[in-house]
Amino acid sequence: MAEAKAKPLPKQNSASKGKKKKRKRPDWFATGSFDVPFLLLVIIILTIGVVMLFSASYTYAYYNKNGDSAYFFKRQLLFAVIGVGAMLGISKVKYEYFKLVGVLGLPIAWLLLIIVLILPARFGDFHRWIYIGGLSFQPSEIAKLVVILFCAWGMERNHKKIIGKSVNQSAFSKKISELTKGKIVVYDSFVQLCLYGAVIVITAGLVYLENHLSGTLLILAIGVTMMFMGEFKKHWFIIIGIAAVVLIVFVVTNPEILEKYAGARITAWLDKSYDPKGARWQTNNSLYAIGSGGLFGAGLGNSKQKHLFVSEPQNDFIFSIVCEELGFVGASIIILLFALLVWRGVVIGIHAKDRFGALTAIGIVFQVGMQTALNIGVVTDTLPNTGISLPFFSYGGTSLMMLLAEMGMVLSVSRYSKMPKK
Amino acid sequence: MQAGSLKQMSYRATIALLILILSFLVCIGSLVRVALVDGEKYKLKAEQSQLLDTKVSAQRGTIYDSNMNVLAKSASAWLVYIVPSKITTDAQREAVVSVLSEKLGIDAEVIREKTLKESNYVKISGEVEENVKNDIQDYIKQYDKENKKSKDAKLSQIICMDPDTKRYYPYSSFASTIIGFVNADDNGNGGIEQSYNSELTGVSGRIITAMNARQKVMSSEYEMTYEAQQGANLVLTIDEVIQYYLEQSLDQALVDTGAKYAYGIIMDVQTGAILGMTSKPDFDLNKPNVISNQLVADKIAEIVDEAERSKETQNAKFSQWRNRTISDTYEPGSVFKTVVVAAALEEGVVDLNTTFTCTGGIQVANHYQKCWKPGGHGTETLTQGLMNSCNPFFITIGQKLGKENFFKYFEAFGFTEKSGIDLPAEASPVADVTYHSLEKMGIAELSSSSFGQTFQVSPIQVVNAISTIANGGKLMQPYVVDSILDSDGNVIAKTQSKVKRQVISEKTASTVADMMENVVSKGTGKNAYVAGYHVAGKTGTSEKIGKEGAYIASFAGFAPANNPKIAILVAIDEPTGAHGGGVVAAPIAGEILEKVLAYLNIEPQYEDAEMKNVSSTTPSLVGLSVAQARSMTSGYTLKVVGSGDKVVSQTPAADSQVRSGGVIVVYTDNQAQKQTASVPNLTGMTMSQANSAAVNSGFNIRFSGTTNASEVVSYKQSIDPNTEAELGSVITVYFKSTVNVQDA
Repeated sequence: MAEAKAKPLPKQNSASKGKKKKRKRPDWFATGSFDVPFLLLVIIILTIGVVMLFSASYTYAYYNKNGDSAYFFKRQLLFAVIGVGAMLGISKVKYEYFKLVGVLGLPIAWLLLIIVLILPARFGDFHRWIYIGGLSFQPSEIAKLVVILFCAWGMERNHKKIIGKSVNQSAFSKKISELTKGKIVVYDSFVQLCLYGAVIVITAGLVYLENHLSGTLLILAIGVTMMFMGEFKKHWFIIIGIAAVVLIVFVVTNPEILEKYAGARITAWLDKSYDPKGARWQTNNSLYAIGSGGLFGAGLGNSKQKHLFVSEPQNDFIFSIVCEELGFVGASIIILLFALLVWRGVVIGIHAKDRFGALTAIGIVFQVGMQTALNIGVVTDTLPNTGISLPFFSYGGTSLMMLLAEMGMVLSVSRYSKMPKK
Repeated sequence: MQAGSLKQMSYRATIALLILILSFLVCIGSLVRVALVDGEKYKLKAEQSQLLDTKVSAQRGTIYDSNMNVLAKSASAWLVYIVPSKITTDAQREAVVSVLSEKLGIDAEVIREKTLKESNYVKISGEVEENVKNDIQDYIKQYDKENKKSKDAKLSQIICMDPDTKRYYPYSSFASTIIGFVNADDNGNGGIEQSYNSELTGVSGRIITAMNARQKVMSSEYEMTYEAQQGANLVLTIDEVIQYYLEQSLDQALVDTGAKYAYGIIMDVQTGAILGMTSKPDFDLNKPNVISNQLVADKIAEIVDEAERSKETQNAKFSQWRNRTISDTYEPGSVFKTVVVAAALEEGVVDLNTTFTCTGGIQVANHYQKCWKPGGHGTETLTQGLMNSCNPFFITIGQKLGKENFFKYFEAFGFTEKSGIDLPAEASPVADVTYHSLEKMGIAELSSSSFGQTFQVSPIQVVNAISTIANGGKLMQPYVVDSILDSDGNVIAKTQSKVKRQVISEKTASTVADMMENVVSKGTGKNAYVAGYHVAGKTGTSEKIGKEGAYIASFAGFAPANNPKIAILVAIDEPTGAHGGGVVAAPIAGEILEKVLAYLNIEPQYEDAEMKNVSSTTPSLVGLSVAQARSMTSGYTLKVVGSGDKVVSQTPAADSQVRSGGVIVVYTDNQAQKQTASVPNLTGMTMSQANSAAVNSGFNIRFSGTTNASEVVSYKQSIDPNTEAELGSVITVYFKSTVNVQDA
């Protein structure tokens, strides 16, 4: 680690020496070059995403936005441009500063998650959005990032405790040992496990209260991934895996224990003939769209299902329109691009200067990768329709900006990564 | 990071990445399943919901008469319906009710009731014409404009219009029982519309249009059209002019005789083609549900009980739609004697020299059958027997023929089968119900059948049998559709005239034809006489079964007797007053024949005796000097009006048919007022009385009807008495005989 740290510093020094006359760079200003392949992948996926958004949304926009077919496209494009600017700007920030976001962000995220529950819902019973001026954002989006950064920060700091066999020295732990006469020894690693587990479960729980099943699952998945990458002992993951399977089986067989909305979605997933005009309408039309696309698709712009059959085709179900227009081949290429993005992010992470950078980059790209997989699972009826968007494709200005800011963080990490030579 | 850390990190990252890649592979696998394996299934489902399959009804074919006049034609129209579920305010409801009741002429309450239904589709009216539809649309536009700011549904979403077709019958009631009409589903109901429904209907096409989930039709690039195959057009054998003459005379007959019904058929004897066919009273094809007979309609309106009234209305409708020439049966009476005599001649049981002495009656088994002429006809030849329509004579002929032979010819002339005419609802002969079967025929049945009673036949069967005698013994299959044309006017099918069988020899046929000509020239049928045309025929009178004092008077015949072209049957059902075929039906047949034969350009061949009554053709005098005109009109009475030198105009016009010695008025002055006079009453006169009365009043006379007998009296004139008419006008005066025209 010392080596990795040492290298950029002279560079920085030489840069400040060499151009003394120039304005002194603030110490948060990152130098070094970022990973070009990663940036290219982001730009490619984003471009395809914005084009597909236009194609998918224009009929819906025409009917719902007073005949302005380009309504969603114009806004998404604007946010994409701002977002790319933000991404490049953030990539210039030394990523150590993102720790602040993780530490300070956690209580703020929790606060926002509570506030959103109190604010009146605008759509049905979904307390997901907070509206400020003309903009809206989902606190759960912030929560996802904060969980990643908090874990990355904490797991780096407490790395030794997590992987070591040190006994926890807190009074409470000692008391337990005394009471059980040394039979139960509380290790630091277990305390850490409980700490991060609690943060993740609390965050996920707050998101669940928003009626946001997929957001909850995603945060849990991100949390587990962070803990796995944070090198907690493997047997915990076997336990977590078993618990997850048991829980999933239980929920799927008893969907009524979930609140009404999510329960109905699971019932609709299990029973393919359930409520075709309601709970299954979106999924059925999504399948019709994908089926209509076949191997090579109907061609860009030629989807028929986007003509109000797939409801809100610019949102969660945009991938079905992608499949209809670009076919199985086009859709597979897009999945491949996502996979490459994740892989490149992981490479950046593995070669990061420090553990925080590594966990940040890997956490962010896994978040994108898992969300993509979940979304496609929903669109293809492999998973229940829980309401999850497709990164870079689905409409949503603030969430797109957020996503691009995260990409900027990965790029920032990449500036210090010791990438293997090609 | 330290090497160990890096290794552990790489290791864990690889595992995590593999799990993620695995889930990506699951995604791709799902896509394989949805897009490729089940793709076709989903695509089909997608298309089912995306595509709007609209039926395009083929336009129903046109029906023409033999001269290509349009008798029935379809045109596009509109179907108006409402979407009551979209009505949210009373103002909307009132607007809907007021505009539709006003423009469509439907009772406001009826529409209001329809607006209260909880439905997305309530039909208001079909067959709405273009201009009415436009009126409604203008109102909707206006209303929606005025209520632009309202958030309620637009009136244009409440009142909707779909394309429809409407059948037009330009001649209204003309040939209505032959043509038939179409019901609300554009299917034929009665007549040719029914029997040729599938040909007329064509094959409907489809337009498959892409639409979005809101059922809005998308742009036409997604549209696929399967053209509708237009219905075929029919050309009838019915000749508009002949049909008109037939209908005109029978309409008049209904008025004159006070009969319940009157029906007639005119048939081409060589082909079996029906040239005219009517059953009066009939109905307006454009309003088939309106009771055409005002008396009946008024009577029904008086019925208080609603169920009873609707039943009677239905009965009246079926009655006026009924083509009685093929659906009704009646006892043919003496007309049938022509068939019996033909059979007897063919079998050789009688010949022209056969005589019979009628003593006023004959014993048949234990029943004494009286002749209609008290005291009997005395000794008569076969021809005289037919002329006299002597029942005892025909009973003996029938008995001589025997029941086997009688039945053989009864069958051969087509009385045990349907004629096979291409019209619906032809009456089916039923053995032992409508006629006596051979097995059950005894002497009484044979005897009564021999003079045309105790069995029932349809008018079409009778005219077909008469036509068989006329054409040399061939029983034809009658038909009304001459050819079927495609929508471009190419002939798809042409009806070939079909000889069903040779029933009697040509020789027998011509012998019977001569006998029948005698019936008209000297016998009971003399009122059907038409000068120059040698009409052959037979009258008939029969009492309706189960109806005391109700008769059917008929005349069946053909002309010209020496070269038959057309056969005719006229039947007057339940005439009031006189009920004999010779008195009631024969003059009508004669009137019709005269017009029809002239129309068919059949050259009259006058006997010497007829020549004196024959008209001559007026010369053209216009442009000639008065002196020249005088020299050209030596056989006429010339009347000159005006002071000019040259003839400017003349009455009657050149080439008019005027009796020699008639009046021609010429005008020599452009400004000269047309000279008029009051038309004298020319009825109830002999021919010479009528002639001089007409000429004295300055009019011309044309003789029509029976003019070869001395006892004839005029009964009708073409211009009503006491009306003002131009001097020189031709008045046709009809004569008939009241002497010796009794037939049964």
